[in-house]
Amino acid sequence: MAASAKAMTKAALSQDAPSSSWLTAATRTLAALDPLRLAGAVLFIALWQAASAVVLPIILPGPFSVLQRAAADFWSAPALSYYGVEDPSLFANLLYTAENVAIAVLLGSAIGITLGLLSARIWFVRAAIDPIMMTAGTVPILIAAPFLLIWFGVGRASAVSLVAFYVVVILYVSAQRAALNLDPIYENSALTLGAGKRQMLRDILIPATVPEILGGFRIALAGSWGLEAVAELLGSQSGIGKILEVLAGATDPQGILATLLVLGTAAILADALAAAFIARFAAWNFAAR
Amino acid sequence: MPTDRNRRMIELVRVGRTYTRADGQRVNAVDDVSLIVPEGEFVCLIGPSGCGKSTLLQMVAGLDAPSSGAIVVDGKEIAGPGRERGMVFQRDSVFPWLRVVDNVEYGLKCRGVASGERREIARDYLRRVSLSHVEQAWPRELSGGMLKRVAIAAVFANGGEVLLLDEPFGALDYVTRHQLQDVLLDLWEEPGRAVPTVLFVTHDVDEALTLADRIIAMRAGAIIDDIPVRAARPRDTDSLLLPDMVAIKHKLLGHLGLEHRAAALRGGAAA
Repeated sequence: MAASAKAMTKAALSQDAPSSSWLTAATRTLAALDPLRLAGAVLFIALWQAASAVVLPIILPGPFSVLQRAAADFWSAPALSYYGVEDPSLFANLLYTAENVAIAVLLGSAIGITLGLLSARIWFVRAAIDPIMMTAGTVPILIAAPFLLIWFGVGRASAVSLVAFYVVVILYVSAQRAALNLDPIYENSALTLGAGKRQMLRDILIPATVPEILGGFRIALAGSWGLEAVAELLGSQSGIGKILEVLAGATDPQGILATLLVLGTAAILADALAAAFIARFAAWNFAAR
Repeated sequence: MPTDRNRRMIELVRVGRTYTRADGQRVNAVDDVSLIVPEGEFVCLIGPSGCGKSTLLQMVAGLDAPSSGAIVVDGKEIAGPGRERGMVFQRDSVFPWLRVVDNVEYGLKCRGVASGERREIARDYLRRVSLSHVEQAWPRELSGGMLKRVAIAAVFANGGEVLLLDEPFGALDYVTRHQLQDVLLDLWEEPGRAVPTVLFVTHDVDEALTLADRIIAMRAGAIIDDIPVRAARPRDTDSLLLPDMVAIKHKLLGHLGLEHRAAALRGGAAA
């Protein structure tokens, strides 16, 4: 009897263990969400709700009606087809925008990182490219949109090339700075250990600059969503920007806010994904922090 | 291969290095230095800061080129860095993006040694520097003294015949510095392989006396003295009190411009 009671207590204890680890997991999630930031979001929504109770819905629709509208239009929004949107749903157009962002970011990073690293180690590359990049960095790239529309028309190419150019400039600067700031002791040490030219690039320059470059990558990714949407707004047949243009023409603030909500959520998710990827890829830089 | 004390391992032939400073003035960092170091000798280069000892070492490493003269290592004039001349730097040089064990085997990896074999060698050297337990750690998780051990293990694992150390323990605390001197000497005297030839730059007189077979004193880019140290190994704190050693210490303090310290020392010894 006594033994079985003891066994039962033991079982109860061992059942306790997973629930307490569940508790720590919940605590950790809460900490990651950051209660203060959460409080800020709640306050913002409350103010929005309060304002929408005073102002006409045609001027400022309430947050819950916007959320409902986003959910309703996500998979199918037939009304959009009247305005000539090919695939009338928020999802289809978000996908179009996301594809363009992905192409532009990958293409732009590849070019920007390569040129940036080369410019830091080969003086004539730097002399040739620096002025172009610095000029492009000071002039708002968006003003090239009409020009690109003339060249490429209203398809993917004009928006993608605009965003890709923006990404190239940002990653050129961050890759160059990372390589210039790299302590020469690592390259010297590798040389005395017997590293050749290719090994110096693959084993030293690239891994050493990865954290700073990925930081630039995140900034470029975040900016790309907005730039892509604006490029679509100026001339495109599909995409989130096209929908925004159509809804603005129809004077539909609820639809516009719902569309922005969807775009913003996608951008935040992409950023979180990039952050997780960076933490994995540059683990050495985060260890013991 | 046994160590051949008659073999010239490092030969400096009238080596000079001139810099042009920002104000346009020319500076002779190293001025017409000639030196022959036989295989297996442990040489300490000592001198006041700015005397050119580090510049000299950088040139032997191949990280800097002489303005005049030639540097011959093992019968071949050098033209750039090479794995037969391993280097330990004063500042941390361990690659932060590689785990400890990958750092130690990096030189072997560059040479295309198979991964199983190089892992075995790296583990062996990590054991010798007492770091087996942090094999998979990231460098930023290690203390300064441990990082120095990693750097030393990496250089020895790479098996160079010449070791160049540029004030390697200068930034370490008293205890760690002495522990690492022992680690270095154990690896240097390791039986069963040719004893590496060492050039060790230091500004610490006691360190030079503890480690060296021969001490080269420099001032203003030139060699001003070349002193053999014959005290038996292993040397301890009492070895430094032997009359020969005290005499060398007086000389070196004089070369460093600290004659008054040497006088005080002599007074103390007489009392």
